[in-house]
Amino acid sequence: MTQENSGQTASEPLLGAWINWTMDFWDTMAQMGPGLNGTGRSGAQVSRETADAGDPWLAALNLWQGFFSLLTEPGTITAVFQGIQAPSKIILRMAQAGWGGYFHLHQQWLAGWQGNGSPPGEAGYENLDQDIFKACNEIFEQDFRRFLNLPHLCLDGLPQERVIRATVEFNQFQAAMAEFIYLLYLPVKKSLRAMGAVWVDDGTEKPPEDFKEYYKRWLRILEGHYMTLFQSAEYIRTLTHTLRAMEDFALAKQELQSEAMAALGLPTRREMDDLYREIYLLKKSVKGLARKLDQRQPAQEEG
Amino acid sequence: MDRGKIPVDLIMAKLEADARAAKHRLERARDIFHGPLATDIGATPYEPVFQTDRVRLKYYRPETARLKTPLLLVHGLFNRETLLDLQPGRSIIHNLLKEGVEVYLIEWGAPTRRDQFLTLDDHINGYMDDMVEFIRRRHGVPQVNLMGVCLGGTFAVIYAALHPEKIRNLITTVAPTHFNTPKGLLHVWMQEIDVDRLVNAFGNLPGNLVNAAFLLLNPPRLLLDKYLGFLENMDNKDFVENFIRMEKWIFDSPDVPGDTFRQIVKDLYQENRLVQGKLRLGERRVDLRRVTMPLLNIYGRYDHLVPPEACEVLTEKVGSRDAENVCLDTGHVGIYVSSRFQKETIPMIAAWLLAREG
Repeated sequence: MTQENSGQTASEPLLGAWINWTMDFWDTMAQMGPGLNGTGRSGAQVSRETADAGDPWLAALNLWQGFFSLLTEPGTITAVFQGIQAPSKIILRMAQAGWGGYFHLHQQWLAGWQGNGSPPGEAGYENLDQDIFKACNEIFEQDFRRFLNLPHLCLDGLPQERVIRATVEFNQFQAAMAEFIYLLYLPVKKSLRAMGAVWVDDGTEKPPEDFKEYYKRWLRILEGHYMTLFQSAEYIRTLTHTLRAMEDFALAKQELQSEAMAALGLPTRREMDDLYREIYLLKKSVKGLARKLDQRQPAQEEG
Repeated sequence: MDRGKIPVDLIMAKLEADARAAKHRLERARDIFHGPLATDIGATPYEPVFQTDRVRLKYYRPETARLKTPLLLVHGLFNRETLLDLQPGRSIIHNLLKEGVEVYLIEWGAPTRRDQFLTLDDHINGYMDDMVEFIRRRHGVPQVNLMGVCLGGTFAVIYAALHPEKIRNLITTVAPTHFNTPKGLLHVWMQEIDVDRLVNAFGNLPGNLVNAAFLLLNPPRLLLDKYLGFLENMDNKDFVENFIRMEKWIFDSPDVPGDTFRQIVKDLYQENRLVQGKLRLGERRVDLRRVTMPLLNIYGRYDHLVPPEACEVLTEKVGSRDAENVCLDTGHVGIYVSSRFQKETIPMIAAWLLAREG
């Protein structure tokens, strides 16, 4: 028994340190997440703009933080290592914290579902909350990209530049694509809110008893929201931005492939394109000449 | 207040009943999926009679030909021509044959990177003209009837304006000619596309990008409701076969030659040159007043891809005195796959041609 007890005691500081570190980590993440781009704006503004995307994020992080803070309380670790001697209290408190976080998430979801319901076709898509994409871009630009900006020296300088360019363009394409997909998701969210507004908030309309009626109604609302979105300036801006990012990535990838093909002694894409162009022009001139000959022959036969 | 509450208990009871029905449906569907399914498209027998590069000409022979002038069908470049022969009972080609029309169909094939420099001029004054010449020689006729589908209709109008002496009658179905309209989403999006960057990056316009663009025109219907409909009807063999045929056609978009796409976007969608008489192909200007042959212009009232506004102007712009607009109560693809179009409109087209046979 003595040996076992001393073993458990020795592991406590290590576990405690790890838990403290984890708490700090989640604390930092919670601060970084939705508020990252709040610089230069009031707290209330940031809070309002990021409410939809940020609150579930905050709730989840607070849940984790609560869980770990519980573990760091005096005696908790000992209790854990004592096995089943004091489980009920810990489990109850953990469950309490867990349910609290879960209910908070649920409330956020319900608020999103019910709140600000608007009829189909009237919802605008201006001033979208896209902080999360800006945050991802900033993390890449500020933290990762600097590692890619190494000086391109000596023989492998050019290939290195090609690899880095392809990597950067790939990341920018991914970010643009994520933003585009988020935009495509917004009508779903708005249509659910509109449904909530009709049948949950107002209660003015008798709710149907058949699930299919809900589905049909939702589909019509959803279509209306998509039509509004697709004609909005924001959608067209995001669409063209995504296309541009895809084109840039395709070009960067081609350059990288060409580099590899040239190294292997294979004809590159550009070389093949030049060849195709020459063949195209040759065929066109041959066809033109053949037509002229065809037109002359009947005339000669008649003559 | 009670009126506003969602009757969750009733909904759950119905869902439970639905779940039981779904289980039976799944069991029946399993037998269908494990058995043989007839899902071929383009199944009407034909004879390949002419080929130049990747482009083929198919000939469909009717049992009894009622018209002396053969009909050349031209489909667009963004989808396959198999739409016109999608399923046995609902095939435009089959129904035209039943009306005694000799049918030729241009199959544009699958463009590869070597086709990226082909222009509108190559397609219209090159391939299309080669096909028309071949048919004229083969049948010993001075003129052919021409029917264009979607962008193939635009090609047909341009060809008829450049070679009016070779076309007896012109039929266009859901063919855009007036591109400067905010009604169709495609028209709105095309205004903002930097087509030079796109073509420079990809060479040709990738078929998958075309597929994605078409799906984005109506995601709730095309990505969700359609498949839920399939789940609800998957115990119906005919439905399953037709659904798979349609899926095959939808997701079989070929690449579009880069320089042709560049011209379509710039000259047609962005600058709307065709109806203004400013479009140039090769060294020639396309003047719609030279379209003097009879014209039948068919389009769909609920077409979200090529709205009526993009089609109906044509009859006002052409030089023909026998030009008629026919607006059907259907959408873009519905015009080719709906039973009503097949039953009513094909005989109407055949009668219209017969009346102008001369």
